Amino acid sequence: MIETQSLAKTYGRGMYALKELSLKIDKGEFVFLTGPSGAGKSTLLRLLLLEERPSEGEVMVNGRNLSHLTRDETQAYRRTVGFVFQDFKLIPTKTIFENVSFVGRVLGKPIEQQRQNTYQVLKWVGLQHRLNALPEELSGGEQQRVAIARALVNDPHLVLADEPTGNLDPDLSLEIMNLFRDMNSRGTTVLVATHDRELIKWVGRRVITLDQGLLVGQEPRP
Amino acid sequence: MTVVGYSFEEAWISLLRSGRSALVSIGTIAIAFATLGGFLLISVNVQGVLDQWLQAAEMSVYLHDTISESDRAALESFLKAQPAVAAVEYVSRERALERFRADFPELSDVTSGLGQNPFPSAIEVRLRTENGGDAAADALSKEVAGQAGVSDIRYDRRWLARLVGIVTAARLAAGVVAAILMLGAAFTVAAVVRLSLFARRDELEIMKLVGAPFSYIRGPAVVEGLLLGGIGAAVALGVIAILYSTLSRWLGSDLAGYAGIGQLRFLGITESVMMLLGGVGVGAAAGTVASRAAR
Repeated sequence: MIETQSLAKTYGRGMYALKELSLKIDKGEFVFLTGPSGAGKSTLLRLLLLEERPSEGEVMVNGRNLSHLTRDETQAYRRTVGFVFQDFKLIPTKTIFENVSFVGRVLGKPIEQQRQNTYQVLKWVGLQHRLNALPEELSGGEQQRVAIARALVNDPHLVLADEPTGNLDPDLSLEIMNLFRDMNSRGTTVLVATHDRELIKWVGRRVITLDQGLLVGQEPRP
Repeated sequence: MTVVGYSFEEAWISLLRSGRSALVSIGTIAIAFATLGGFLLISVNVQGVLDQWLQAAEMSVYLHDTISESDRAALESFLKAQPAVAAVEYVSRERALERFRADFPELSDVTSGLGQNPFPSAIEVRLRTENGGDAAADALSKEVAGQAGVSDIRYDRRWLARLVGIVTAARLAAGVVAAILMLGAAFTVAAVVRLSLFARRDELEIMKLVGAPFSYIRGPAVVEGLLLGGIGAAVALGVIAILYSTLSRWLGSDLAGYAGIGQLRFLGITESVMMLLGGVGVGAAAGTVASRAAR
């Protein structure tokens, strides 16, 4: 599913955010990406979402080299990937339903399909009773559940999450992790960046550890 | 929902949200197009007057009092045979005096006091207005000037040609002024669209991350420019129509009388549609340029 070879990303004058990173994540896997701040976790996710391009090496997703995608191919690729951020990135002026159905809308899907998919996914995250609420009317956990619903509404093969529980208390964090586990059990590949060791232990899945841009550990070893 | 429907819906919401800045933008476009439309309106009416004058343009061949009947008849025959000539009419000294008295009754005492008829006899030549008519008429006037019994030639088209030249230059200058104003308007539209894009930056970022096609990302910005331009041009057209209607009610008959035309005319369907399309085009172009900020 995901394969990187000697991947590197530099900023400024040769400052490496990622260096010589070679790893492989299979289809349907649930993998944690961990390490201290500045380890390169977010950089790797940005490279996988094509928000940035590698300085060296290659990133392959589903056998496709992401380094050479055109602008339109990049957009087509992103349609197969869901993302969840620490700060939720919801549109404050739109309702919960609109925030999620927005994805189908800008992808030109039929209105009936947009409505159906949005309702189903919001029901799955347990927010079917808050459809007309604005994001500011929801708790942090609820907002993150909306972000997860938005990531899943387009039925992606891969979901990337950058510190999805960073703003949540432990109970809500477990609730969110259950949603990730649930989506993974349905066949979606999940890559979650977090520095919360307790959470990683609780979920009990494969862990890739980065430090200063280098791969420093994998448990269990592939 | 198609990209067009989505773009119009989002652009309209954005316009309503922009409020005052959208009004400023529409106002700027309206000023630019009202200026252009005003020039166009003046131009259309001046052209009407010129066309009428050009059609009525005559060459007057004044004759010596001593010209013989045979020389005059030969001159008339010569003129009638010319391709540039549409019609020829001999006006005797007596007929010229009668005309003067009929046209200027208040000056009839002047001619009575002279004791003799001051007007020369003349041959009035109506010229054809087709292509090449001017050059042929110029050549003709030179040729006739050398004929026996001819004392002078007055040829209306010379000053009319000069007037046409001045009007063309004025039209060109007006076009340049309108183009500069329109450029300013386009910059204003682009600035407003950019502000809208800035206000929607979170939404645009999410659109990019979910893989929305660029037509969906940039479409609303282009349509917003298009709407601003179109509304601005429509407002300009409305303002010109109101000004025209007011002016023609107060001064219309006087102006038409001075110009020697039946009545003043408003912009035709073609000119009005061109103005609206111009507004839409300028707005859409400005929106397209501004939309490139959403990369």
